[in-house]
Amino acid sequence: MEIVQIIINSLIRASELSLLALGLTMVFDILKFANFAHTDYALLGAFLAYSFSQALGLPLIVSVMIAAGLTGLFGIGIDKVLYKRLRTIGVQPVSLMIVSMGVEIALRNILRLIWSSETKTYPIAVVKPLEILGARITMLQLEIITVGFLSMVAFHILLHKTTFGKALRAISDNRALASACAIDSEKMIRWMWFIASAYGVIGGTMIAMEHVLYPRLGFNILIPVFCAAILGGIGNPYGAVLGALILAFAENVVLALDLKWLLNLGGLFHFESIQINTGYKPAVSFLILILVLLFKPTGLLRKE
Amino acid sequence: MTIVNFLIYFLIMVGIYALLAMSLNLQVGYAGLINFGQVVFFCIGAYTSSLLATKTGLPLLFCFLLAMIVSGFFGYVMSIPTKSLKSDYWAIATLAAAEVFRLVALNEGWLTGGPFGVMSIPQPLRFLFSMENYPLFYLFLVTLCVIIVFFALALITDSPFGRDLKAIREEEDLCLSLGKNTRKLKLEAMVVGGMVGGLAGALFAHYVTFISPENFWPIETFLLWAMIIVGGRGNHAGAILGAALIQIFNVSTRFIGEYVSLGSDSMASLRMVIIGFLIIIFVSYRPEGIIKEKKKVYDPRNIR
Repeated sequence: MEIVQIIINSLIRASELSLLALGLTMVFDILKFANFAHTDYALLGAFLAYSFSQALGLPLIVSVMIAAGLTGLFGIGIDKVLYKRLRTIGVQPVSLMIVSMGVEIALRNILRLIWSSETKTYPIAVVKPLEILGARITMLQLEIITVGFLSMVAFHILLHKTTFGKALRAISDNRALASACAIDSEKMIRWMWFIASAYGVIGGTMIAMEHVLYPRLGFNILIPVFCAAILGGIGNPYGAVLGALILAFAENVVLALDLKWLLNLGGLFHFESIQINTGYKPAVSFLILILVLLFKPTGLLRKE
Repeated sequence: MTIVNFLIYFLIMVGIYALLAMSLNLQVGYAGLINFGQVVFFCIGAYTSSLLATKTGLPLLFCFLLAMIVSGFFGYVMSIPTKSLKSDYWAIATLAAAEVFRLVALNEGWLTGGPFGVMSIPQPLRFLFSMENYPLFYLFLVTLCVIIVFFALALITDSPFGRDLKAIREEEDLCLSLGKNTRKLKLEAMVVGGMVGGLAGALFAHYVTFISPENFWPIETFLLWAMIIVGGRGNHAGAILGAALIQIFNVSTRFIGEYVSLGSDSMASLRMVIIGFLIIIFVSYRPEGIIKEKKKVYDPRNIR
């Protein structure tokens, strides 16, 4: 594959993954548990957006925004019903993680129950891809990169230029001290759930738009998203973006690599070109995840 | 299929899942190791034994033993990162590891038959019994295994080793400060858990005589989690009870499905929705499960 194509494909993948990893890293940082249902929230939004655009005939971008808002509220709702109670009675974060696993199973199958397991595609006109330096990119993919980039900028402004961002960072640093400064941490946590879920919906919908939409998709992207968040360093949103970028490049480069030079040992043997089976694409993120966990569990970027 | 045959099939499956649940329970309920990849032992056990039997024609007893040894070894491998990883990270890593194994089984067709799986796996002592009686013999074999494993595990967990495991679960640092080698204890729990899981996998493979990667989705792990959460963590009877209850639930909904016009896909999703809710409700409101772990109180006057 051409290098330019690899770069473009990786940028697309990174835009999608980083929006999902952002929410995951925030929840993990502030509530101290790995939310296994995170990508399924995103899928709920993706399905809602699909239905809005199909049944109500709304423009796709409007449906995605409404779906993101609703899923944000859903995230708050689940927190209110399940996690808040467990937080206040002071159970270990591990139990919260197991509960989130239960939410994941239930939610994924509710999606399957409502929308069936048939694959769906968004109503997007198929247009001829553009050619940039010999690489192909569709209009949709260009939009994905743009939306991904703009969402990052918005997130940065939110975190650093608003009182909400300041309060959220305060809670993340020291919850008790933040409470002493009259920061309503429960309110902040509600907002955090809203933003995490809504951002996830944008990322999840972009993945579904580029490929197809089906209920298992949420579970299938769970490990890559975890991988991006942990690789970048939990609790650091910029780390999540960096992690997503590295993972996306790794996924595309590993599969494009020709292992011929490695096996031939400098002309000793004469293997034909050998490439890694594309069936192993999901395994790339699993292996990177396992390697990161083994050798640098704190991730690349330290929490600020 | 007559009722009796079905009942035998059902009981054999309960037995195999009871073995898996007991093995998971040793790791989760006793040592507090959050293993989200338990299905990997089932997978390795099933593939090792069936491949050895079909490709090398080794006596089945050795196939079973080797399946246990290989799974146990993988339990050892999985226990290595426990020394440096927080439980959340380790849980994610186990989930990823199990998926890597399923992908290997799916993609390495030359060894595992890929998506077509391993077919016509020989059954132990098949020639001694007629077609009708063989399932009954297999039920006896599985029951024997469950009984042996139950008492062996009970012996282990009632020994000082079991008390040390519980100490790790409750307070790992305290356990370390008492001079216990917590790393070695976790390792032993994982190896024993892996061996029992491998045994269950081998029993499964030689009973159904056909296995494919379809049998080893991560959802199996979460069924096992539902079993130990419902039945009760930290005691072996709870694991068996949970296995029986979840299997009864599974089977009964399958029967109901014949009378309710929902379609098998919807019925399967509904079943998993309920499993998800069971996990959420039990962890939130009855974390000890149906059978409560017996807390032994040691009378200080007797300890001299």
